[in-house]
Amino acid sequence: MSTSTIVTTNEADAPDLSVLDRPPQVLNNRDPRWVTDSVCSIVESKTPLWWYAAITVSGTFAGIGGACILYMIVTGVGVWGSNSPCFWAWDITNFIFWVSMAHAGSLISALLFLTRQKWSLSISRSAEAMTVFAIICAGVYPAIHIGRVWFVWFLFPVPNNYGMWPNFSSPLLWDVFAVSSYLTVSSLFWFAGMIPDLAVLRDRATTKIRKFCYGIFSLGWLGTARQWRHYEMMYVLLAGLTSVLVVTVTTIVSSDCATSVVPGWHATIFPFYFMVGAVYSGSAAVLTLLIPLRLAYPQLKELITPPQLDKVCKLLLMMGSCVAYVYVMELFNAWYSANAFERGCFWERFHGSCAWYAITCLSINLTIPQLFWFKAVRRCLPLVFVLAILCNIGMWFERFMIVTSTLTHDFLPSSWGDFHPSIVDILTATGTLGIFFTLFLLFIRFVPIMSMNEVKAAMPGTQPTHSTGEEH
Amino acid sequence: MSHHLPHLQNHHLPVAGSKDEPLYAIGARFDSPDALLHAVETLQKNGYSSYECFTPYPLHGLPEAMRLKKSILSFLVLGGGVTAVLIALSMELIPSTLIYPLVVDGKPLNLSALPQYIPITVALTLMIGAITAVVGMILLGGMPRFNNPIFAWDLFATESYRGFFLAIEANDKMFSSATINKLLHDLGGREITAIHQEGPEGR
Repeated sequence: MSTSTIVTTNEADAPDLSVLDRPPQVLNNRDPRWVTDSVCSIVESKTPLWWYAAITVSGTFAGIGGACILYMIVTGVGVWGSNSPCFWAWDITNFIFWVSMAHAGSLISALLFLTRQKWSLSISRSAEAMTVFAIICAGVYPAIHIGRVWFVWFLFPVPNNYGMWPNFSSPLLWDVFAVSSYLTVSSLFWFAGMIPDLAVLRDRATTKIRKFCYGIFSLGWLGTARQWRHYEMMYVLLAGLTSVLVVTVTTIVSSDCATSVVPGWHATIFPFYFMVGAVYSGSAAVLTLLIPLRLAYPQLKELITPPQLDKVCKLLLMMGSCVAYVYVMELFNAWYSANAFERGCFWERFHGSCAWYAITCLSINLTIPQLFWFKAVRRCLPLVFVLAILCNIGMWFERFMIVTSTLTHDFLPSSWGDFHPSIVDILTATGTLGIFFTLFLLFIRFVPIMSMNEVKAAMPGTQPTHSTGEEH
Repeated sequence: MSHHLPHLQNHHLPVAGSKDEPLYAIGARFDSPDALLHAVETLQKNGYSSYECFTPYPLHGLPEAMRLKKSILSFLVLGGGVTAVLIALSMELIPSTLIYPLVVDGKPLNLSALPQYIPITVALTLMIGAITAVVGMILLGGMPRFNNPIFAWDLFATESYRGFFLAIEANDKMFSSATINKLLHDLGGREITAIHQEGPEGR
């Protein structure tokens, strides 16, 4: 396998065009073999101690969360803090939070693939994994929040015992289809993209059990020209389908709120609001996961490069600015509508008992992403990590604000109330965090965290020089 | 027992798999994508058709050189998507308007209410389209298949993730191991091996 370097001519009188060059996909002129070895070594090397420590912590939280869910199921939803007038509270907040976070993964792996943004190749697999795990965490809530989980089949398109079908014009049923479709499509996208890389692990396996397991999951992949032909077509198709999902899923989730007539929810800006918020929190989550990952596996520093993370920061900045626009627009519209209830809702949001989380949300989301205008901030990865976590916290408060501050302050002041989460609420939420990190740790340990074939195919010198293809 | 076997043994090619089993193909490894592409172009010129290239990542220009047709997967997905639209609309409209007309908020049940059935239609279309794409890719690619005879070639089974391999199958109408050995050798193929199927005892 030959390696070649890009030769740029730069004569004295010619303008320096090297600034226009795209940053290299892999630093230090590594060859494809090095990429394979570094990515596979994460799976093949001895399990590091920190991994056991981390999975013990996340597994414990997940276990406690599971116990809380079980306790809720056998006791009833009364163990949650949800009560009149706020029947949708913690559960829906967390559902929206998780399902939104998933979106950046789809955007990075699908939309950026379709637009030929090659910088995203090395982070797309882990972003997709994040998507799948976040949807799983989101999916915990819809099933249990109905109270009597054994009636969950009421959500399915089958008639109940009165011969009555579910209401297909209800956004709550749209949600069921949107989220299950999102989970299916993103899992398929994630798995199908992984098949060639699992075959690499199969070929490199040294023990029988590894060879068997990776052999089963790689489905007998050979890498023949015919297989690649169908595979590439599938990848484009799935990227196209997933790109539509980026826009539709949160739009449908936002309809849960927007199609109601409650002040603060009944707004046409909601689909856009939810979507930009989704990609914003998702970009923050990608940064939160990738920066420590580079630290844990130093070889990834050459594959997940600062210019790539810089671009994720810019995505975060753009989406954060859209979110800021929506906040301002929402307030403007409430004032401009001259509707007493709409105005009252937003007045209460910043003056009532829920003011502290509305203020937390706004102060984070209006300021933190704006710091990413500065290159020095984007290039200081420890700082980016902290800021990204803050963005995620801000987004959680945004979801909480949208759901609870609206429901606790509707038309009638006499029916206003407050929401206080119970300990079961809180432990269930930390439980989903535990599930998320447990799944992500398993992902790091057992499957290739990077699409090796895509990275290799995009490296200089790995394609035929006299090909008729569009490359180089 | 393969009738090709006598030809083969005259040329002392290294043998992979079990010698008692029929010959499957003659394989070679190439040093670079360019060498593989050049080999494919030459094979095409010489009229070979039953051969396969194995690469660690998709090579631009290789399918064109092999004269592979465009994947029909996109048509399958279109079919899947159209079917999904029909399934979704009938699943929603038949129960809501015919079996148990459900009037909520006085919303109409005729076609003017179509927009409210669109979100589920979109979701199902994407879901069934994606399932068709993945299942289609797997089946069109001849998967899942865990016993492919090419795995008898140890070099391939351990190096396929970084080598560029070519295998001319024994069922090619032009197949002659002497000619192929020379041709592959001249084209820069290395580690030219006669790949037999595995014996019943396997590995």
